[in-house]
Amino acid sequence: MLAAGLGIAAVVCAVLAIRASRLLSAALWLAVVSALVSIILYELGARQVAVIELSVGAGLVTVLFVFAISIAGDDGLGEASVLPRWLAVGAVGVLLVLLVGMALPVAETDAAAGEFSIEATLWDQRALDVLVQIVLIFTGVLCLLGLLAETRLPAQTPAQPVAANVGRTEIPPVDQVPDEPVEAPELEPVLEEASL
Amino acid sequence: MTDWLIGLTILVPWIGALAVWLTGDDRPELQHRLAVVFSVVAGVCALLLLPSYDSAPALSIEVGSVFGTFTFVPDGLGVFLTAVATVVGSLAVIFSVDYMRGEQSLGRYYALVLFFIGAMVGLVLSGSLFLMFVFWEITALCSYALISFYNDDPAAVAGGLRALIITQLGGLGLLAGALVTYAYFGDTQISIFLKNAGTLPSGMLSVMAYGALIAAAAKSAQVPFHTWLPGAMEAPTPISALIHAATMVNAGVYLLARFYPAFADVSGWTTAVVLVGLLSAFLAALMAVFATDLKRVLAYSTISQLGYMVYAVGVGGVFASQFHLLSHAVFKALLFLAAGAVIHSVGTRDMRKMGGLKKEMPFVRTVFVIGALALAGLPILNGFWSKELVLEDGLHHGPVWAYVGMLIAAGITALYTFRMVWMVFYGEPRREGHVHDAGQAMKLATGVLAVGTLTTWLLAGGFGEMLEESLPFHGLHVPAGTTLYETILTAPATYLALAVIAVGLAAWWFRDRLAWVGEAVPWLAKAADVDFGFEWLNQRVVSITISAGETLRVTQTGLLNWNVLGIVGGLVIVLAVLALGA
Amino acid sequence: MNTLEIVLISAFALAGTGVYGLLITRNLIKVVVALQIMIKGAVLALVMAGAASDQLALGQSLALTVIVADTVVAVIGLAFAIQVKRVRGTLDLRDLSELRG
Repeated sequence: MLAAGLGIAAVVCAVLAIRASRLLSAALWLAVVSALVSIILYELGARQVAVIELSVGAGLVTVLFVFAISIAGDDGLGEASVLPRWLAVGAVGVLLVLLVGMALPVAETDAAAGEFSIEATLWDQRALDVLVQIVLIFTGVLCLLGLLAETRLPAQTPAQPVAANVGRTEIPPVDQVPDEPVEAPELEPVLEEASL
Repeated sequence: MTDWLIGLTILVPWIGALAVWLTGDDRPELQHRLAVVFSVVAGVCALLLLPSYDSAPALSIEVGSVFGTFTFVPDGLGVFLTAVATVVGSLAVIFSVDYMRGEQSLGRYYALVLFFIGAMVGLVLSGSLFLMFVFWEITALCSYALISFYNDDPAAVAGGLRALIITQLGGLGLLAGALVTYAYFGDTQISIFLKNAGTLPSGMLSVMAYGALIAAAAKSAQVPFHTWLPGAMEAPTPISALIHAATMVNAGVYLLARFYPAFADVSGWTTAVVLVGLLSAFLAALMAVFATDLKRVLAYSTISQLGYMVYAVGVGGVFASQFHLLSHAVFKALLFLAAGAVIHSVGTRDMRKMGGLKKEMPFVRTVFVIGALALAGLPILNGFWSKELVLEDGLHHGPVWAYVGMLIAAGITALYTFRMVWMVFYGEPRREGHVHDAGQAMKLATGVLAVGTLTTWLLAGGFGEMLEESLPFHGLHVPAGTTLYETILTAPATYLALAVIAVGLAAWWFRDRLAWVGEAVPWLAKAADVDFGFEWLNQRVVSITISAGETLRVTQTGLLNWNVLGIVGGLVIVLAVLALGA
Repeated sequence: MNTLEIVLISAFALAGTGVYGLLITRNLIKVVVALQIMIKGAVLALVMAGAASDQLALGQSLALTVIVADTVVAVIGLAFAIQVKRVRGTLDLRDLSELRG
């Protein structure tokens, strides 16, 4: 019962986040989604991940969003979208029906909410994952420093729509013979002064 | 040990490609040296691989259930072609040191050549149809990039694109074959396909057989897909020697030879193969008689000689066809490289502007004449033995009308060969200016190939044995040792062929008196000029492909939303297939 | 319908909402928001799978990796968005798309 409520609430908040007209509202709804998801995770028994999800998703990422929005501006760019909405809804709907239909049998068992030691698994079995995560974080920090360290920005180049037919492939018709014009070839070439 | 050698022979050129590219174009001397070193090492590895031929896979890499196992099988056919590809490749690279001196973008050039050499080795050694397709595509890519090497010349770019489009359309047939094999047998191994080919439904087998013929004809520039090869002569001449004479165009013949046991019983297939070979040999020889561009004559000559190999496969002489492949690789590479030396010093490709070069380029003249005599099929040289073997197999196992056609083509071959040699080296000089003989590297490369032309026919016995033992499905029986040479020397067909060749030579010698023949058939010359109409056909195919590509450009919107929709659509299709199949 | 099935449906629904957001939005920062929602759905599905197969520890480890990766993606994505806004003056995808045929 609790899980159903939480699940529906999470989805509703997610939709609200997508449809928010101001970016700040979207970031805040995202934080709410994070919190709800972390509660569900706790209910499933994944205590450690729930805590991490709460602090990272609802904390760190939200702060980052607020920071970015304050620099980049709050303009939500309106409702008009490139794809027709029915197409997007239809595609996602078909995808979900197929996925849920194929995956539902997996969840037939009852949840066993026991105590598990994540540390052993993490360091023994998934050591490579931990290494990858460390590399990822390092790479992320480097990228971030590289991106934000641009103090000398190029002159403001307002975006312009690109002209059509840029880079069109032009294939000239293939010449048969190189430069010289072809004289009517005969069985023997022109060799007036040739001596046999 | 064998698996290490196979891995090295493929990887050494690829590492060399990376090394040369990373050296940068500001150190050309280092690039030249690195390229030569890596290609020679690859050649040595390939030669070391020769004695360890075996019909079982030597190197297997598991890649999961969908693609099967990637195997490399060092059977006789594979290791021999490996040796050809790497040795001729290293000689072409050595030649390039002189030919490409002072050119721009050497890194791109050598990297692509080395990448190609490794891919060609992988193609002939691979035992899995899917892996063979991957290497086939890599060779086509390198060929395109090298034909268009001078990428500010529109003729070169156009030639490269045409070659790419026509050979790729054929390559699709190979992919379809791999998929069919996987669908029916659960595995893409060539050995499994050859063993069980009889169990395929006959309609499917026919489709595969003719598809393979089309793929081979496109790749090996046979009629009706031959017009890309003359257009590919815009490439630097060492590339023409390596890719378009000695290795890549042999891939089609190799395909036919390898799959011959599976397709031989498909109704009409062998006749179709014989017909394709005959038409290519005959028409290309005719077109060579009228061409005035030196490299174009050699291109038509390549098409014609490949026609001989295809014809040999069609009549069941797989050994004869591969033996001629060996001889042809050596003497055609020699001819192309020597022609490259001539073009490099004279500055033009037009034979009407050459003449009397024998005084100024004695070394090149000697090696060129050796290659030309092999092409015409004069005795002692390797071309003689292999061509006679092909014609003999054709006489004993094939239809008579085809044999007569090939015989006449041999005569025309002698005619255009003699014409080419005469126009370039003999007679009075028809241009001004000073020419110099070939440089050191050029002399080395062409000298080695000339020695090869004089001697590779001695390998026939050992080579035949290699093929017989390691190709279990082909059922080859090659006479051992010197019986082969005796058979050729004592067969009357040999002397018949020699007589026809002598007629061809005489026709050139007495061309003044035969002028009336030229007057009587002027349409022949004009028809030869437009490639007998095939040029128009191929050009249509190329234009249709390019315009289809232009029309589909509109789907590349660059917008995230459309791209994500594409991903979602693909996912839906995959899930639907899974759900329906479950 | 037990807890796990409900969680599965909501996980997939979250992921679907994220995909819908990717299909609809024109704003670069909203793209990052949609990505985040999608990945939360994935994390939920992973942990649910762990619970269903009695391997919660493994499920949590995988989910942890995904959370780390998605945080890094969010950080870099937002840094990108800031720089793009500074240089190009707009965050609208239609005006930014130059890689087209």
